[in-house]
Amino acid sequence: MSLLDSLLAGLTLVANVESFLALAIGVVVGVIGGAIPGMSATMAVALTLPFTFAMQPITGILLLLGVYKGGIFGGSIPAILIKTPGTPASSATVLDGYPLAEQGRAGKALGMALWASCTADLVSNLALILFAGWLASFALSFGPPEFFTLILFSLTIIAGVSGDSLLRGALSALLGLLLATVGLDLVYGTNRFTFGDPNLMGGLNFIAVLIGLFAIPEIISMVWNPRGHEGQTRALGRDWVTFREYRNSFKSILRGSFIGVFLGSIPGIGAAPSAFLSYSEARRKSPNKANFGKGELEGVAAAEAGNNGVAGATLIPLLALGVPGDVITAIIMGAFMIHGLQPGPMMFILNTDVIYGLFIGLIVSSAFLFLVGSVAIRGFRFVADIPRGVLFPAVMVLCIYGVFAVNNNLFDVGVMFAMGWVGFFMLRFRIPAAPFLIAFILGPLLEDNFRQAMLMSGSSPTILFRGPITWVFWTLTAITVFAIARAGAKAARRPAA
Amino acid sequence: MNDRRLHLQLGIGAVIAAAFLGLVAIPSWVSTPSNVRNIVLSPLFWPTTLAGLTAIVGLGLVGTAFALPRAAPDPWDVDDRRAAFLRLAGAALVMLATFWALPRLGMVWTAMGTFSAMALLVRTRHPAWALGSAVVVPLVLYLFFSKVAGVAIPQGELVRLP
Repeated sequence: MSLLDSLLAGLTLVANVESFLALAIGVVVGVIGGAIPGMSATMAVALTLPFTFAMQPITGILLLLGVYKGGIFGGSIPAILIKTPGTPASSATVLDGYPLAEQGRAGKALGMALWASCTADLVSNLALILFAGWLASFALSFGPPEFFTLILFSLTIIAGVSGDSLLRGALSALLGLLLATVGLDLVYGTNRFTFGDPNLMGGLNFIAVLIGLFAIPEIISMVWNPRGHEGQTRALGRDWVTFREYRNSFKSILRGSFIGVFLGSIPGIGAAPSAFLSYSEARRKSPNKANFGKGELEGVAAAEAGNNGVAGATLIPLLALGVPGDVITAIIMGAFMIHGLQPGPMMFILNTDVIYGLFIGLIVSSAFLFLVGSVAIRGFRFVADIPRGVLFPAVMVLCIYGVFAVNNNLFDVGVMFAMGWVGFFMLRFRIPAAPFLIAFILGPLLEDNFRQAMLMSGSSPTILFRGPITWVFWTLTAITVFAIARAGAKAARRPAA
Repeated sequence: MNDRRLHLQLGIGAVIAAAFLGLVAIPSWVSTPSNVRNIVLSPLFWPTTLAGLTAIVGLGLVGTAFALPRAAPDPWDVDDRRAAFLRLAGAALVMLATFWALPRLGMVWTAMGTFSAMALLVRTRHPAWALGSAVVVPLVLYLFFSKVAGVAIPQGELVRLP
């Protein structure tokens, strides 16, 4: 199939009202979800997932992608207006966004955030289109040993960078891997931790674990401290961002976009580190260094470009390798699977129309983001006024319906509640939840590839070092562990402030 | 709570969990055929490996705990701790009651009760809104999932919806 044929096939799939409507609704839901302190882009995507069951695969996935992109931008609105990042990815935006709001220039800061977000989003989508196909064709030569080492590397990096401690991240990943062993054994079909319950034989439902881990803990946290997430909203002010200001920050926006693309394409790093790295690079290179942290527009631009630059790039490992780049892409991976699609290199051969349909939809999503974002900035007051004492119980009910709808199984609701408490205690003990979830998803793949490799080699572990690709991943894993451990040791030696 | 105490608690917990897995859970609840010739392919191998790695990470947490003098935010920091723990217990009860009531009362009625109870627990400042939403939200979700998505929402024994 030529590129033109693939594009036409994709266009046939998405050139309809439902797809674009799903994308637009997704962006709206995402911006609102991201803008509500206490919710997050992850939570918004997780709660939207059950609504996609009744849709065509491409429509459902576009809806989720819209929520994802909207959610990442939406987080910047409360970051600027009430000094409360709507998502962790917007933490860097607070640094200069809120001081600008204090000066009565919130409108300018939000405008710049929107322009930077849309620019970075577009760059990220183009990077996805350029690199995903190439990486997928390369990954077609991967066998079980290569996939085993790739997944091991992904889990190592996710465990290392998700929290502030490699060991806590590793513990989280191990717990996720252990939870993934529940069910029937992959080779022999014998029971593992099923306790004779037929509900457990298929393993724990991914959606129940996901919603339990990312939505319920927020509700329990709200129960623990009902007066959290309250802040004073700042007025937008009268001035708006000008094209000249955008042009002045363009270099930082472009740099931040590329940082986002680079870090986003490495599984597990995510938007928050990218935003901070982009911000610190902008500050390092700026002639107005001294003004950063006091209300510098370029700081907002850099932070937003950094976190939105990740949004398309995290789909590169997902689509090309079948390895989710972060928690949100893990949820989107679940959506693919629910609709009978398996992300990975074979998808570029078997489902070319879906791949190119997604690419077209993603390009359009950048335009939707700009339109919706412009309205959302002015409408934030209404979002901020949604009483959380009504919103969170509604989220709880939505979780119950959504999790039940996956399999028509009440047992999954129980799993969700149980995982909610696990997630809450993980939150309290600063154990990152992302490695847990991604390990839970990748656990069966990791084990499966390991055992296939062992079957191929007659149980000789040397097969795991059989070629340059496996060596590259082993080396990267070792470097990652060493670098993160060294950084942790340095941080531990630093005297308390 | 400082980082040192946190790492110690987690490390000791991880070692205990790994010991429980290795000594009790895996031998009791992971079955393996008797004709498995190679340990690496046995259903026991993967969980046992993970339990071993959990023990190593646990020991690592304990070992590194003493190199962590930094203070950290108290994870249980709240104005009135006793009331907060009571609310947590309330939330756990609401979840248990929800799980028990779902097959008996049906999803819509149970969800209405769950919504109201959760609104009370999060000390809503808008009781009228909460009460209205407690009725409307479950009904709207019922209509979507049952009529649009074709999901067989449990109806319970008491009042059945169309």
